[in-house]
Amino acid sequence: MANPSSKSIDWSPQNWPRLLFQFFTSFKLATVVLVFMTLVTLLGTLGQVDHGLHAAKAKYFHSWFFDDKIFGIPVLLPGGLLLMILLFVNMTLGAIVKVRKRWKGFGMLISHIGMLMLLAGGFVTWAFSTDGYMALYGGMSSNRVESYREWQLEIMPLSKEGVAEKAWIYPSEYLETMRSDEQRVIHAETLPFDVVINGYAPNATPIPTSAPMAAGVTGKEIDGFKLSPQKPSKEAEQNLPGCFIEIRPRDGGAPIEAILWAGSYRFDPREKPMPFTFTIGDQLYGALLVKKSWTVPFTVKLDQFIFERHPGVSMARNYESRVTRFEEGEPDKSLEIKMNEPMRHAGYTFFQESFGPSGAQPGDDMFSQFAVANNPADQWPLYSLIVTSAGLLIHFLIMLVNFTTRARKRFANPAST
Amino acid sequence: MKSALRFALLSLFALFAGSGNLSARELPKSALQNYVPWKDETVHTFENLLVQHEGRVKPLYTVARFTLLQFLGKSAVSFETQDGEQHKLHYAAWFLDVLFRGELAKDMPIFVIDDSEAVVQIGVSPKAKRDRYSYNELLPGRAKLSELSAQYAEKQDQYEKSEKDPQYELDRIEGMILTLGRNISSFEFLVGQLGFARQGDLLVNGNIMPPEITELAKRLDTVEMIDKMPEITVEQLVQMIRQPAGATEEERMFSAASRLFFFHASSARGLNLFPPKDPENEEWTSAGDLMLAGLASKDERPWVKEQLAGIQGLVKAQAEGEPAFHSALQAYSDKQHEVAEARGEGTHSKLEIQLYRGKWFSNSLVCFIFAFVVMAFSWLTPGSTMGKRLLFLAGALAFVGLVLNVYGITLRCIIRERPPITNLYDTVIFITATAVLLGLILEYFTRLGVGTLVAVVSGVLGMFLSIKYEAKEATDTMGQLVAVLDTNFWLATHVTIINIGYAAALVAALIGMVYLTGRFAGLFHRHENPDFYRLLTRMNYGIICFCLFFSLVGTVLGGIWANYSWGRFWGWDPKENGALMICLWTLVILHGRMAGWIREIGIHVQSLVLAIITTFSWWGVNNLGVGLHSYGFTEGVWGALYLSWAVMGVFMLMGGIVWFMERGAKSSRTATAPSGKEVTA
Repeated sequence: MANPSSKSIDWSPQNWPRLLFQFFTSFKLATVVLVFMTLVTLLGTLGQVDHGLHAAKAKYFHSWFFDDKIFGIPVLLPGGLLLMILLFVNMTLGAIVKVRKRWKGFGMLISHIGMLMLLAGGFVTWAFSTDGYMALYGGMSSNRVESYREWQLEIMPLSKEGVAEKAWIYPSEYLETMRSDEQRVIHAETLPFDVVINGYAPNATPIPTSAPMAAGVTGKEIDGFKLSPQKPSKEAEQNLPGCFIEIRPRDGGAPIEAILWAGSYRFDPREKPMPFTFTIGDQLYGALLVKKSWTVPFTVKLDQFIFERHPGVSMARNYESRVTRFEEGEPDKSLEIKMNEPMRHAGYTFFQESFGPSGAQPGDDMFSQFAVANNPADQWPLYSLIVTSAGLLIHFLIMLVNFTTRARKRFANPAST
Repeated sequence: MKSALRFALLSLFALFAGSGNLSARELPKSALQNYVPWKDETVHTFENLLVQHEGRVKPLYTVARFTLLQFLGKSAVSFETQDGEQHKLHYAAWFLDVLFRGELAKDMPIFVIDDSEAVVQIGVSPKAKRDRYSYNELLPGRAKLSELSAQYAEKQDQYEKSEKDPQYELDRIEGMILTLGRNISSFEFLVGQLGFARQGDLLVNGNIMPPEITELAKRLDTVEMIDKMPEITVEQLVQMIRQPAGATEEERMFSAASRLFFFHASSARGLNLFPPKDPENEEWTSAGDLMLAGLASKDERPWVKEQLAGIQGLVKAQAEGEPAFHSALQAYSDKQHEVAEARGEGTHSKLEIQLYRGKWFSNSLVCFIFAFVVMAFSWLTPGSTMGKRLLFLAGALAFVGLVLNVYGITLRCIIRERPPITNLYDTVIFITATAVLLGLILEYFTRLGVGTLVAVVSGVLGMFLSIKYEAKEATDTMGQLVAVLDTNFWLATHVTIINIGYAAALVAALIGMVYLTGRFAGLFHRHENPDFYRLLTRMNYGIICFCLFFSLVGTVLGGIWANYSWGRFWGWDPKENGALMICLWTLVILHGRMAGWIREIGIHVQSLVLAIITTFSWWGVNNLGVGLHSYGFTEGVWGALYLSWAVMGVFMLMGGIVWFMERGAKSSRTATAPSGKEVTA
């Protein structure tokens, strides 16, 4: 192998494309990227202990760059997103385009194609998949899926019976970007008032001003309560955001203030949300922090939830749901959803995720919770695995045959080596 | 060099001699005047009784084994009685005493306490710094122990609830007191199990009962009492007991009898020896549950009394002498097995006893240790006929060790009707078997002695770890699985494959250690036998490729399983990340080699980094306390991991020194080359 230091590099502009190509196809880039990926994976794993999974994912794996401390020394490191893109480019150009196509490297070529499929699948999942949950008691049916972590502000006109038919929504993408000291005045075209949001906290709890803890809480007091921001939970699903809203009627009426807290939303599928209600003119309105939700193009009815424990102990042995799927109001199919046996239909997958309420015993009325995912790349990892395994197997078999042949020759005739 | 090896061997023998001295230590004295051991046949019949414990029907032998491991950390109780006799009781015999001769069991030194400060804190006179105590020796501190262990249990609860706030973390002594409190309670619970069947016997803390109840216990037959009780639920019974006794003698008697009944029923819960009457019902019951079921329903009483009379018969027979006891025990066992087998339960109980009695894993360790000693002798005459024979013998012994290990694993698979790995303990014995097998296969192809060394060292370390881990955890290693793991397909594929990857990574590290030790110490002369090192490098490279294949396939399979179970392929869970890091680092080694950055020494040094990542993934991530895979929390793991990483760090440092010196030598050769031409070594 020639000594690279003995070569002079042509840095002229016309040679840049070739240099760039060499850079992006090099084993050295691959090695550096892989070393950084290992480091970032390690930091992201350890980071979960302090920050929880959701925050660690955002910081380490879904980022271009991030800053951290290693042994107390501050460092700026490439994030998982950047590293995966670099790896994708490097593999595509180096292992597919540039590589010499010969039989000896056939296995490697195939396995790299498999890994590219896996990375591409990861990107599609990251960019286009949705996930949420649906919780049902026996006999209940729904086509609505709720987000685990995203909360939005809804203000809806209510009928005299307290029923809402439509709602004005301030989406979670906007709400979650608010700082605690920020105030936003929102002019809602469909509503006869402006909505002012401030003091948003991703995790909060309202406390009565009479409580001793309230003394240390800054911020407004409304109806005998203050909103106390809490440290975000490591499990982001546990966070209950809160904020202050002010309703400013455009007709010059007196503004109305309120504390909105996600705890007023329901925790159990049978519970009713408890919105803050107010009247503007003759119209009754309700305001509430609710989980973001969307619909699937079919309805699922839970016929029966079966929960079994191992005999004599509290450990769950099996939990499964017998459901009926409805298409356009007509029963389409009856089926079972259980651990390791999801229901796949119309691009959505329903997984048996958990059950509740917490502390329920066999025989109690329980709800079943499904994780509902819509992932266009759902099956790509499987295809990728088949391709990659086949490629690696071919390659390593060739290597093994070479190795054993040489080793046997050496053993048979040591003098020849 | 040979003198160094001889010194090492002498040290090894000194170590063995030292361990012999340790085993000849003075046994703890028991307050027992003398002790009459059970006959083997009685113990064998007893250990084969069935019990449903932790969701599984198993022989009493297994319960006895893990209970004693939990209390004592050992599989046998050793003590010396006042008459100077020494006794060693294995778990089944000890458990037989606990159930049927509780007063004797209370004087056996079965509670190990690592630091005497713990007993001082409960007001008991300490013995040695680390020593064994009997129940009766600890009894003076019982009240203080209850108070402190309740306090520390509360503190531990707060620690969990506060997401591990250090102010609530138990210190070492507090942890010991909490454990001791739990162990003492378990012991009392076991000793009191058959109290209902003995007239007059309120074995545990008898003094807590009022004198009238103690007196009554001598006269009343609890089993017969069931018929005389009104048809009431347990809640009604509790309510009745709480009320004042009443004015008449009859009312007072009835109140005392009710209390006695409740005491016996409460004491006899938990040891589920009785298959249910209903064949559809999976839940076995204890004597206490039966008493309460009989109390609640008159219809149940004949059947309940029949079941309880069986145990009562055993207790009476035991009082008559061992021959009668053995006959009664055999008859009871036969009947119990007949019922269980009709229900399709307990069919593997004999196999389970065979698994433990056969000591397959500890015998496997013995084989590996012998193999290591034989191998060490082979190093005294390297290359000679004797050396080669000894090396072959070492390989053969390692193979026997492997067979014993695999036999044990196979028995476990048959008993559970599961693939080989379902929990952390299984991973230890499986990875050991895989590493030994890989080492022997390498030896078959290369005949360098290195494969045998890798096999033997893997066997010794792995089996030692498995035995220590089992004793430390002291829980049934064949327990039931949570719902998501109840799939033999994924357990057989993803779990097995990923653990083969772990084993390969550890084998690569051992080869790396051999290489680096050889290069560093100059045991072999590179310039005389460079092929040896090249072959070692090729071996290691091959094993790293093997590791990549299994780790990658296993990791992706894990993702596919997660996609089927939880709806996402990849969730950045710590265990997933650990597996990913293994894949990434093998790729770093392979691509670094292609880039020209990693050559011989580099591959071996990086194989050690790979092993560090693997041990972190295998043990470390389970102990981070986050993620879906935090199923195997084990106290003290971090200390062991840091130690192993420090050892690997030393080998890496050796590699760095060799690389630096080699580089220096190359530079000087290049500098002194004649006529200005560049020379590469």
